[in-house]
Amino acid sequence: MAVLATGHIDVYTVGGKYQLYVDKLEPEGVGALQLAFEQMVKKLQAEGLFDDVHKKPIPAYPDRIGILTSESGAAVHDIIDSIHHRWPCVKLFFYPVPVQGEGATEKISAALRDINRRNTKFKLDVLIVGRGGGSLEDLQAFNEEVLARAIFNSRIPVISAVGHEVDVTVADLVADARASTPTKAGVVAVPDMQEVSGQLVGIERRLTGQITARVKLAQQKLEIILANAVFRNPLLLVQNAQQQLDELSAELAETVKELLAEMREQLSAAYEQIVRIEPHRLLGRKTVELNDLKNRANAAIKTITNNRRMQLTAQASCLTGLNPKSVLHRGYSITTSKKTGLLVRNSKDIQIADLLITELADENLIESKVTKK
Amino acid sequence: MAGKKQKDDVGGLSFEESIKELTNIVGKIEQGQIPLQDSLQQYERGMALIQHCRTILQKAEKRIEKITESEDK
Repeated sequence: MAVLATGHIDVYTVGGKYQLYVDKLEPEGVGALQLAFEQMVKKLQAEGLFDDVHKKPIPAYPDRIGILTSESGAAVHDIIDSIHHRWPCVKLFFYPVPVQGEGATEKISAALRDINRRNTKFKLDVLIVGRGGGSLEDLQAFNEEVLARAIFNSRIPVISAVGHEVDVTVADLVADARASTPTKAGVVAVPDMQEVSGQLVGIERRLTGQITARVKLAQQKLEIILANAVFRNPLLLVQNAQQQLDELSAELAETVKELLAEMREQLSAAYEQIVRIEPHRLLGRKTVELNDLKNRANAAIKTITNNRRMQLTAQASCLTGLNPKSVLHRGYSITTSKKTGLLVRNSKDIQIADLLITELADENLIESKVTKK
Repeated sequence: MAGKKQKDDVGGLSFEESIKELTNIVGKIEQGQIPLQDSLQQYERGMALIQHCRTILQKAEKRIEKITESEDK
């Protein structure tokens, strides 16, 4: 490397030598690169590529990290170790790229685009792009516009980890976060496991404490309720009801008694009334009357019947007396003509040789013929 | 039961998701607005999440996967 030395020349008297005492030493030929860098920064800043509003947040607990750096060199190991040391549970993916020389910028940019395109497969949460320390020339690839835009356009957050602390490249400015060196990449990319473990312990304590307090509170509430009279004497309700029942029972009995007494009185009064009427006497009298009437009726009927019988007998005698046939018993007879059937009263009614029918008292009919008149 | 099923699917969550839910749960319980029964369920889920986080942390990844440029551009 060429340098520009500023100082004074003096004589070292002992050896008789001319020596250059250097006051200031600068790298030579770097001026152009430096200028180009400053111009690039100005340009991209004006476009707003470095604005905070564009910077994506780095995930707090990344699951998968992609590393883009050179396969050779210490940087890759520094980055990996710094991450592993802090957060060993993260999965690392390494995409080797050249970090200086011809076409390095293009290769790194292409790699960034490639990963973004295929991230549905890799599912990376954050990318680290970096390299170890070096001269401004060595770091040139990280000051190029192409890479700046590739970093800007990356949908995956990008952390830059370039060079030494004092080295600030364009990539550092446009990245979503900057690690000052590759060894600091871990600090920026991942949390500290110890710290997080401690936080978990704290959370556990809070959680347990809260729940214990709540359960205690609930228990107290329960105890207060259990202390209530109803729980101390659960039969209280039953006893109250029982009491009510007894009282009503007694009332009922009382009321029934009164009702019965009342009815009994009514019955008595009615009985008295009836007795006053002396129904048995009345009945007796009426029975006598009835018998009397019955007898009289019977007697009357008998009398009437007798009368009628007598009348009948009288009339029957009369009738018997009037019976023409009774004459027959005295020897008379009834003579009728057989021919005419008429009674023969005198001899004119019949002729000689007529047939006669004679009825005698024994009701035999005798037939005879007239022989002489 | 819904509670049991909740506990089981904790395993699928990422660390970030777990921590987020955990913070949520602690906040809910601290506010005391949710009924006791739910608090207990949430507590169980919280403990499961904490355990899950610890499990993730304890797993040290040894392998580093290499990515190369894909054939199809």
